Amino acid sequence: MSNPTVDVPRTVSAGGAGRFLIWASIVLLCAWVLVPIYLLMVNALSSPAQVSGFPKSGLPGFDFASLQFFAGFAGVAKALWNSILVAVLTMALSIGIGAPAGYALSRFDFPGKEVFRMLVVMTRAFPLPLLALPLAVMFIRTGLDDTALGLALVHTVLAIPFAVLITFSLFSGIPLELEEAAWTLGCNRWQAFQRVVLPLVLPGIAASAVFAFTISWNEVFAAAVLTIENRTLPAFLIQNLNVSPLHLKFAGGAAMVIPALIFIFAVRKYLFAMWGIANR
Amino acid sequence: MKTTKTLLGAAALALMAAVPAQAQVLFWSTQAAPVEETQKMREDVLAGFEGGVDFQPQEVGPFITRLEAEISAGSGNIGVVGALHGDLSTYADAWVDLSDVDLSGVAVSEAFLELGKLGTDEQKYLPWMQANYVMAANKQALEYLPEGADINALTYDQLVDWAQAMAEDTGSPKFGFPAGPQGLKHRFFQGFLIPSFAGSTVTKFASDEAAAGWEVFKELWQYTNPASTNYAFMQEPLLSGDVWVAFDHIARLADAFNQRPDDFVAFPAPAGPMGRGFMPVLAGVAVPASAPDVEAAKALVQYMLQPDTQVATLLATNFYPVTDAPLPAELPASARALGPAITAMTTSADALPALLPVGLGDMGGQFNQVYTDTFERIVLGNQPIADVLAQQADTLRSVMEQANAPCWLPDAPSEGPCPVD
Repeated sequence: MSNPTVDVPRTVSAGGAGRFLIWASIVLLCAWVLVPIYLLMVNALSSPAQVSGFPKSGLPGFDFASLQFFAGFAGVAKALWNSILVAVLTMALSIGIGAPAGYALSRFDFPGKEVFRMLVVMTRAFPLPLLALPLAVMFIRTGLDDTALGLALVHTVLAIPFAVLITFSLFSGIPLELEEAAWTLGCNRWQAFQRVVLPLVLPGIAASAVFAFTISWNEVFAAAVLTIENRTLPAFLIQNLNVSPLHLKFAGGAAMVIPALIFIFAVRKYLFAMWGIANR
Repeated sequence: MKTTKTLLGAAALALMAAVPAQAQVLFWSTQAAPVEETQKMREDVLAGFEGGVDFQPQEVGPFITRLEAEISAGSGNIGVVGALHGDLSTYADAWVDLSDVDLSGVAVSEAFLELGKLGTDEQKYLPWMQANYVMAANKQALEYLPEGADINALTYDQLVDWAQAMAEDTGSPKFGFPAGPQGLKHRFFQGFLIPSFAGSTVTKFASDEAAAGWEVFKELWQYTNPASTNYAFMQEPLLSGDVWVAFDHIARLADAFNQRPDDFVAFPAPAGPMGRGFMPVLAGVAVPASAPDVEAAKALVQYMLQPDTQVATLLATNFYPVTDAPLPAELPASARALGPAITAMTTSADALPALLPVGLGDMGGQFNQVYTDTFERIVLGNQPIADVLAQQADTLRSVMEQANAPCWLPDAPSEGPCPVD
C-alpha cells in the first residue's frame, strides 16, 4: 500500500530468458555429475554408523577409518600401479595400431574397405565372458598369462574400434589439399604427414588415447580372469566390493574414482580439443 | 618425439614387470570375499602358515573361468581351491587325492568327509568350514509374537501372523527378505520353504504341497517390506530399523549382532507340515592337479584344519568349524547369538536338512533361476500358482536332464537325473 506507483508488468527480454535457460542447464548438468561424486566423498569420509544412520547430515564426518582400511588392504598400491601400467600400454598399442588404420581408411581406397570398417566394430560384438576361457588357456600356454602386456593386448582389442573410428574421422577432417600442398613444396608422403597432418590431429589423437585409457581402466572381467599376481585395481576391488558393507563400498568407490578424476583433470585440455573447443 | 619415447619406456617397463614372481601358495576362493573378511583371512588366519599364502577371493564367474582354464591348460598358478561343495563336486576329476594329508589329532566330521569323496574312493576335497541360514529379529518385534508361539519352534503360519501383527500395529511392514539381485532368496526357496512344505526340493517342485507353501509365502509377502527386492545383506536394514524380522545367511547377519548385540535375537527358521527345512552350507578345500607345488598346497590344506586355524576362520568369516576344535569363551557377539540358533535348528526334532545343489556344474545358475523366476512370477507378478509351477517344472526338468544330476537330500536318491514329477 505504501507504494503508489502503477503496477506495470516487468518486461522479460528474450535474451534474459535464454540466459536463464542456459544457466539452468549448466547447473543441472553439473549437478548430474557432481552430486553423486559429492555423496560418494561424504560417505567415504564418514564412519560406518553415519553411513547407515538416518537422517543424514549431508556433511562429511571426517572419519578416515574406511579409507585407511583400503590404504592398508594388501595389494591396493600394487593394483593401482598395474592398472596404470595396463592402461598406458593399452593407450600406446591402440593408438599405435588404430591411428594408421584410421589414416588408411580416410586416405586410401582399397577393396574390402567397408567390410574392414564393419569387422573392426565386430570385435565388440562378442561378450568377454565367452572369450575369456579360451583366451586364458591360450595365455597360460604361451606365457602371456598374468602379465600386464597380455591384459593390455585384450584391452587393446576392446579399444581399437574406437581408436580406428575416431582417428578415421579426424584424418577425414584434414583436407587432402593441405597434404598435396606439402608434397608440391618438396615433402614426401611421410614428411607431409609428420609436418602438416600430425600437428593438426594430435589433440584428437590424444583424446582417443584417453578414451582407450578409460576403457582399460574400467574393464573387470578379463582382468579378473587373466591376471592373478598382477591384478588391476577394478579387478582387485570390484570383485570384493559388491559383497562388502556399505561404508566400505563408498570408500572403495572413492578409491576407484579419485585416480580417474585426477587423470581426467590432467588431460582435460585434450578432451576438450576432441570436440573442437580451442583451449590452447 | 617425447611422447613416443615415454610410451616406449612404459612398454619396456611393462615387459620387465611381465616376469611373474611365484613363491607363495595361491589360495583361490569363492568364500570370504567381502573385503573385511579377506583382510582377516590374510592377517589372522593365513599369516601363520610357513611359506606364505596369497589369498584371492573371487566372484563365482571369474573363479570358474580361471579354474577351468588352468585345468584344461594342465598348468597354472592356483595351489588350493576353497569353494562350496556344489562347486567342488563339478570338477571331481581335477582334484588330487587328499587322503594322505596328515589329520592326526583332528576329528573331522565323518559325514562331511564322506561328502568330500564326491562318490569316489579318493578324498577329493577336505571340509573347510560350515555355515547356515537363520532368522534374526529386533527385540522390539518380540512383543508382537502370536500367543503361544515359541520363537525356537516357530511355524510358517505363526510367522505370517507375527508379520501381520507388526505391520498392522506399526503401520509399516517389518518383515524383511533378501530378494535383491545379490540376495540369497533362491536358497530360501530351495532349502527352507519348499522342503518344509513338500519334503523335497526338486522332485515335488510342482506338487500341491509345494503350492501350499507358495500360498503361505505370498501371504507373508503382504507384510514384507517392499524394499526387500533391493536387499542383499539383511544386517543393514536390521541395523537401520527398516526391518525387524529377517531371514538370511549367518555371515550376512553377523554385523547386526556385532554392532548392537543387545538389540537382536537369532532363532531357527520356521517349520512347515513336512518339518523344519534348512540348508547347511559346507565349504571345502581341494588341490587341483595343475597346482605348481602340490606338496605345499597339501601342507596348506592340513594347516586349514588345525584347531587354531578353524577358530581363527570362525572369527574371520562367521563360518563354523568342521572339526571338534574347542571354541574359545571370548567369542564375538555374532557367534554367541547365531551359534545357538544353528544348533537349535539342526538338532530340532523336526529337522529336515536340504543340501545345496550337487552335481549341477555350470547349470547351477540356471537351476537357481528356476526358483527365482517362480518367486517373481508367483509373488511379485501375482500369476496363478499352479500354472507357474507347471511351467517352471518343465524348465527345471530340462535343467536336471542337461546337467544329468542325480537327486540330493532331501530328495530320495535317483538313477540318472533327478526326476521332476
